[in-house]
Amino acid sequence: MGLRDGVRARNESAWLLPNDGTRTNHRLRRDMRRFADEDEIDLVIVGCGAGGSVLLQRLARSGWKVAALDAGPFWDPDTDWVSDEAGSHRLYWTDPRVIAGADPVPMGSNNSGRGVGGSMVHYAGYTPRFHPSDFMTRTLDGVGADWPVGYRELRPYYEQIEQELPVAGERWPWGDPHGYPYRPHPVGGNGEVFLRGAAKLGITAKVGPVAIANGRFGNRPHCIYRGFCLQGCKVNAKASPLITHVPDALAHGAEVRADAMVTGIAVDERTGRATGLHYVSGGRERFQRAAMVAVAGYSIETPRLLLNSASRRFPDGLCNDFDQVGRYLMVQGAPQTAGRFDAEIRMYKAPPPEVSTEEFYETDPGQDYKRGFSVQTVSPLPITWAEHVAAQGHWGTALREYMSDYVHWSCLGALCEFLPLPENRVTLADEKDSYGLRVARFSYSQCDNDRALARAAQSVMEDILHAAGADEVITIQRYAHLVGGARMARDERHGVVDENCRSFAVPNLYLTDGSVLPTQGSANPALTIMAVAARTADHLIAGGIT
Amino acid sequence: MSGETERDRGPDGRFPGFDVLGQAPHWDEVTAGVVAARIGPPPALEFFTAAEAPCARALLHLLTGQDEQGGEPAVPVSEMVDARLAAGETDGWRYADMPEDGQAWRDTLSYLDADAGRRCGTSFAGAARADQVALIQAVQDLKSADWHGLPAARVWSLWTRYACTAFYAHPFAWTEIGFPGPAYPRGYKNAGVGKLEPFEVRDSRPAEDPVKEGA
Repeated sequence: MGLRDGVRARNESAWLLPNDGTRTNHRLRRDMRRFADEDEIDLVIVGCGAGGSVLLQRLARSGWKVAALDAGPFWDPDTDWVSDEAGSHRLYWTDPRVIAGADPVPMGSNNSGRGVGGSMVHYAGYTPRFHPSDFMTRTLDGVGADWPVGYRELRPYYEQIEQELPVAGERWPWGDPHGYPYRPHPVGGNGEVFLRGAAKLGITAKVGPVAIANGRFGNRPHCIYRGFCLQGCKVNAKASPLITHVPDALAHGAEVRADAMVTGIAVDERTGRATGLHYVSGGRERFQRAAMVAVAGYSIETPRLLLNSASRRFPDGLCNDFDQVGRYLMVQGAPQTAGRFDAEIRMYKAPPPEVSTEEFYETDPGQDYKRGFSVQTVSPLPITWAEHVAAQGHWGTALREYMSDYVHWSCLGALCEFLPLPENRVTLADEKDSYGLRVARFSYSQCDNDRALARAAQSVMEDILHAAGADEVITIQRYAHLVGGARMARDERHGVVDENCRSFAVPNLYLTDGSVLPTQGSANPALTIMAVAARTADHLIAGGIT
Repeated sequence: MSGETERDRGPDGRFPGFDVLGQAPHWDEVTAGVVAARIGPPPALEFFTAAEAPCARALLHLLTGQDEQGGEPAVPVSEMVDARLAAGETDGWRYADMPEDGQAWRDTLSYLDADAGRRCGTSFAGAARADQVALIQAVQDLKSADWHGLPAARVWSLWTRYACTAFYAHPFAWTEIGFPGPAYPRGYKNAGVGKLEPFEVRDSRPAEDPVKEGA
């Protein structure tokens, strides 16, 4: 049995999509099973992104009565998405949030998704694994935290998900060396520059890993290299749960309830067990009963929902007996450095994710900082590029002139492993959103190690671009990704969930998204979030329907 | 750094004969509709009050280098920003030490008028161009210091973020920078350094890094 047949036997999503040039199986959605609020279903999930969708698909396949509620729409790439930056605003979570701290983290388009598919609808598509060291940074490097689970336990799930997305790339020499199911994509101008500069400096750089099949995959067509990966893939070539896990889930009796904003988790004061979800749909307050609850709202909304689900038993927020909810929220430092070439690079003409190096990922004993960073191509489209140029101080005519030079620039981005710190956290602000719920306040400050990493990463990117022949380099300081905020730990004094993502405080409540990650490495988090959710699914399936 | 330049030539014409709208027949219908809505007469202002509108217009035209053209600007940035604020189409988040975006716009426009009144006895829109430039340059130069009780860098970021998002959403700007715009269902076939699609036009002044240090 070939690889594709093997994938199809356990996840048929790519074969359930239409092959007539349209992108959505409307019949599958129309015929979707629909549970009544008063049905006590086996599991109800909050959020239908990376974590929620994988859990949904796995459990539906095992015969569970399972539904996922998502605050946003059930996207149709044909009619809802555009090949346009400004027109993609609805892909982002734009409900009010307050950002604070010494180094506040802007939200929105950079890191917050909305609707079925979650942030993976607009992520770049990079899907590297974490390194084995990421699971024990406290032991190895004296910083961060050790996970209660190791790389070895997660590896089979990495392999499964890499096949299901599927991932294309060269054989990966870093971390736990491994191959990918699909050969690497051809590189565009930006990738060429990276490879050339890195080769001159003796830095190993590789093509991939990218969750875009190189070739057809089921009924998903080949990538057309249109460069608008971050605006939602209209081709169905780039993986997101909307096309990689939701179709198979629906075919196996799961319900996806879109446009349903969860406002609270109900817990029975007597039994101490979760009983279902309060949510708002069509302007009406409703309640879905369930024997188990999983929250997969990502690192801001998951802690916020727990904090907003306070009760007599949990006066400071659900699962927050030890003041752990919302803490250790992480973002990666993501300085972005561009280089100017007389030749035309036209970096928009390929998927933004092309080439990457993890040479600087691990702690280097010769440096005065711990942990490290990765470097990847990023290929900003005009609006995002204007932000990079404006950050140099240009405005007016000077900005216009600089921008007219767009086709000559190549752009690299780093992901620096900023450390998990207890005071980097979500709390509740006093102001309320349109549902009457207190909004999240996200406070973030860097530590000295973080700043040293960002400086080192910028310097490496400048070196690579200069080595490739750039005559000028410019940098913007940014952040990327979110993880943590309700981390897994060995006990309830150090985290919110155990190694299986089960909350310490409520035995039938699970968190299955990026918020459970105790460290972040220098890897884009989507693959790891999916792998952790797949592992939790196996744990639940082994335990049986309650 | 400043928005002023000694150059006597704008960026026009780096890509001779290139017009992104010539590609519109190759765009998918939904995208083409979104882009088409940006062309043509802009809608009337909804968000900015009659008192705020001239200031917003002057500021946004200055920031996008459209202040010295006669007649209507090529890209109606103030109307585009107005429409976004009227629709509440913000990114959601706000800094703890800033009001939400709509209020921040109203407040900072009134502060600009106040500064103009002190400096030259006029509104910001009524001030001479050199004074307008000096007034907003002063805000940028404050960096993270306080401006009317707000961190100046965050005010600057608010202004430039909205200005750039509006300007570079417009096909006029794409043509100016040689960017071929929407690419679905067509995609690209010739990626790589120096490679062009048949519909792309080579830069006519490739060695001219416009703002290179020392240039």
